[in-house]
Amino acid sequence: MSMFSELGRRIRQNIQTYTIILALVGIWLFFAVLTEGRYVNPQNISNLFRQMTVTSFLAIGMVLVIVTGNIDLSVGKAAGFVSVVVAYLQAYVWHAIFPGQALLAATLSILIGLAVGLVWGVLEGYVIAYLNIPAFIVTLGGLFIMRGGILIVTQGRTIPANQPYLKEIAQGYLPDLAGWVLAIIVVAILVFNMFRSRQKRRDYGFELSPFSIDLFGTLFFSALVIAYVYIVNQYNGVQAPVLLMAIAALIIAYMSNNTKFGRYAYAIGGNRDAARLSGINIRQNIFQIFLLMGLLCGVAGIVLASYVGYGTIAAGEGYELDAIAAAILGGTSPLGGVGTVFGALIGALIMTSLTTGLQILNVQPAWQYLLKGMVLVLAVYADVYFKKKS
Amino acid sequence: MDKNIILDFKNVTKRFPGVTALKEASIQIRRGEIHGICGENGAGKSTLMKILSGVYPYGTYEGEIFYNGEKLKLANRSIRQARDEGIAIVYQELTLVPDMTVGENVFLGKEPTEFGIINWNKLYSDTQRILEKYQLDVQPQAIIKNLGVGKMQMVEIAKALSENAQILILDEPTSALTDAEVDKLMEILETLKQHGVTCIYITHKLDEFFRITDNITVLRDGQVVTTKPTSDVTLEGLVKYMVGRELKERFPKGNRKPGEVIFEVEGLHAEDPDSAGKEVLRGINLDLRKGEILGIAGLMGSGRTELVMTLFGEYGKVTAGKVRLENEEINISSASNAISQGLSLVPEDRKGQGLVLGQSVLKNLSLPNLRFFSNMFQIDDNAELRASTEQAQNLAIKAPNLLIPCDSLSGGNQQKVVIAKWLMSNPKILFMDDPTRGVDVGAKFEIYKLMNELAERGVSIIMISSDLEEVLGMSDRVMVMHQGHSTQTLEASEATQEKVMALATGLA
Ligand SMILES: Nc1ncnc2c1ncn2[C@@H]1O[C@H](COP(=O)(O)OP(=O)(O)OP(=O)(O)O)[C@@H](O)[C@H]1O
Ligand SMILES: [Mg+2]
Repeated sequence: MSMFSELGRRIRQNIQTYTIILALVGIWLFFAVLTEGRYVNPQNISNLFRQMTVTSFLAIGMVLVIVTGNIDLSVGKAAGFVSVVVAYLQAYVWHAIFPGQALLAATLSILIGLAVGLVWGVLEGYVIAYLNIPAFIVTLGGLFIMRGGILIVTQGRTIPANQPYLKEIAQGYLPDLAGWVLAIIVVAILVFNMFRSRQKRRDYGFELSPFSIDLFGTLFFSALVIAYVYIVNQYNGVQAPVLLMAIAALIIAYMSNNTKFGRYAYAIGGNRDAARLSGINIRQNIFQIFLLMGLLCGVAGIVLASYVGYGTIAAGEGYELDAIAAAILGGTSPLGGVGTVFGALIGALIMTSLTTGLQILNVQPAWQYLLKGMVLVLAVYADVYFKKKS
Repeated sequence: MDKNIILDFKNVTKRFPGVTALKEASIQIRRGEIHGICGENGAGKSTLMKILSGVYPYGTYEGEIFYNGEKLKLANRSIRQARDEGIAIVYQELTLVPDMTVGENVFLGKEPTEFGIINWNKLYSDTQRILEKYQLDVQPQAIIKNLGVGKMQMVEIAKALSENAQILILDEPTSALTDAEVDKLMEILETLKQHGVTCIYITHKLDEFFRITDNITVLRDGQVVTTKPTSDVTLEGLVKYMVGRELKERFPKGNRKPGEVIFEVEGLHAEDPDSAGKEVLRGINLDLRKGEILGIAGLMGSGRTELVMTLFGEYGKVTAGKVRLENEEINISSASNAISQGLSLVPEDRKGQGLVLGQSVLKNLSLPNLRFFSNMFQIDDNAELRASTEQAQNLAIKAPNLLIPCDSLSGGNQQKVVIAKWLMSNPKILFMDDPTRGVDVGAKFEIYKLMNELAERGVSIIMISSDLEEVLGMSDRVMVMHQGHSTQTLEASEATQEKVMALATGLA
């Protein structure tokens, strides 16, 4: 088998992923031309990736929620609630108890933020999975509840959340050297993984795919990582929130592919009855999915507080829609059973790319919404179209 | 052009990625005949019919089809166009909307309307008329999902028949029907034939060909092996054409000696979980020995499926009775519970309950078995692939590789995937609800052999089948059910068709 025919086969297999990546590249080219290159300068690229992080945390959880055939409409406001709680603690609580301990304060804020998200996930998950109330209804109610919660905490005020340490979560950058070290570690892991998985397949006596293909894949991703670090280092360095997002996405992607938990989620979405008869504890799995989603709301909320630097009454407004859109753009089937974390990340990147591009071009917000809505529908149409073709 | 040829396939080739489902197939169908098409699982029978009904439109296959002397060019997914042309089809897999009524399903897509508003009275009275005309025993207002598979199949047929069809294609219409229902269908087909409707009939129950068809075409690996008048072939000859070799006997002889009783059910009563107070199981007594195959016979609706589903913890609300496994009383509350006790179930409806159709063969095979290849944090995908590959080979599952989705397998091969996934879990007790439904003769034989092997290894099997011969041929003992209770358990030596039928109908 020649390398190219094998490559062609793989591309056809993952046509969906490639269409969406092509769409992304197309959008970047489009804006690069219209802004005469300003769009792709290091500063803008750096900001672009930083801006997508909050939505991304929500989108990677949303993929799994939708894959099981559920939905979570409360994630935006839940993240918003966490962000105002964190801001409140930072601004009013900690320095009353132990003044001057900024690091301790930030650590406690983070822990409490995560705990709030987790508790929210447990509550929603319990009601949905064990009391059998449709997720759409439970999380719609959740959205209202969280909106109320935000008003209670903020009392309608804006609370500052730009204290040292906490600020660094969304606004910090790694030193250039650290960025390079990170890139080298990632490349080393990629190469190591390639050899290890080939060795394992050999141990099992399976046919190996051509070495050139594996090498090509590894080199390609390595090049992407190196290029990325090179570009962002020209501005401020690797962004702390992007690093966090990458780690979270890797963990969730790993869970979705390589653990029973993930497999079960896809099986439940694909055919609930078959999954049940296969001995899968559906309630438990769905409960766990919402728990994870809650935890990710916690992470998103902390990053949000740090990113905006304030806790406001509008915190997280509409983020659930961005997260759902990102997941769907990334190829998640609204009917359940299909979707990838990687796709959702690209979807989030597309949404953010559109927003920033249109902002740079000074397009009115009204038109930004119109365009984003149309792109969403168009992208899904293109996907359906290509799938029929192939 | 011969006026008597209604349908003429000329060198039809259909390729899928990795498989050529049809290779230069040429078949001529005469007007007014009943034409049987047979072949092993994956031979290309359903593919041929899907081309004819527009599922695979003109241009996606090579070759030509002439219909009434004219080239047939169907647009994409134009079931409707095919229907308007007078081609009606009953698919192998059910295509009914479960939450709608019988009437709504029969008239789906062609509802009688007045000024765009559905005339419900007409819809239901028309449905009633059709059902009465063909003596189908279903209520027009019944909700599909509350019917058994047998009844659903009848609705499916009614749905096709309600059109003024010139050609009626039936793709394994009887695979889930009882003998009485099959007889009824045969009568219907005879009537239709007298009205000049041409029929294409696909089935794995070879005896039906001899009862009803005028000509038979045999497909093997996508190629036409032969087309012959039915009167010129014998059953043995047909099998030989299909599988390319001779099959001496229908049921392989096992050599097993069942041991002591391992599983017992005593006075089991259970209610329909959806309507409290409605008893579906009214007193079940059975015992199963180690390494035994126990057949369960009974009419459709006698509670056979309900029984195994209840024993598996997935259906009825148990109101009385005891279940003992290895002399210990057990209380099975869910499938996962059942599996952890060493029970497995090959369910009746492979599409709805057996498979995640959109997922790969590999993932389906490993789904109930992941605990063997994984801990909390990781699935060893190499071990998974190896075990699955082995199992797929054992059952001769015909698929280009294990990564293709199950919905691109032929019906019989899907069934093999369902069986394979449960064999992988090394059960102590295996419930099989109609395990050879839609499976070809050769593969049936393989499944029987496998059942024998399992029993010899000490696995105990409870098998339900609508095919009485199969139950009698494979079982050590036969338990007969009648209206929700167990009547009598017969030794294989004393079980005859007459005795079983007498018990099943409540005459004995
Ligand atoms: N959509 C598809 N994509 C890929 N391969 C397919 C697809 N549909 C059918 N095939 C393959 O084409 C071959 C013929 O399938 P087909 O369904 O026509 O068989 P069949 O004769 O009806 O078998 P059965 O008796 O099991 O129903 C099989 O090998 C099957 O795997
Ligand atoms: Mg078929």
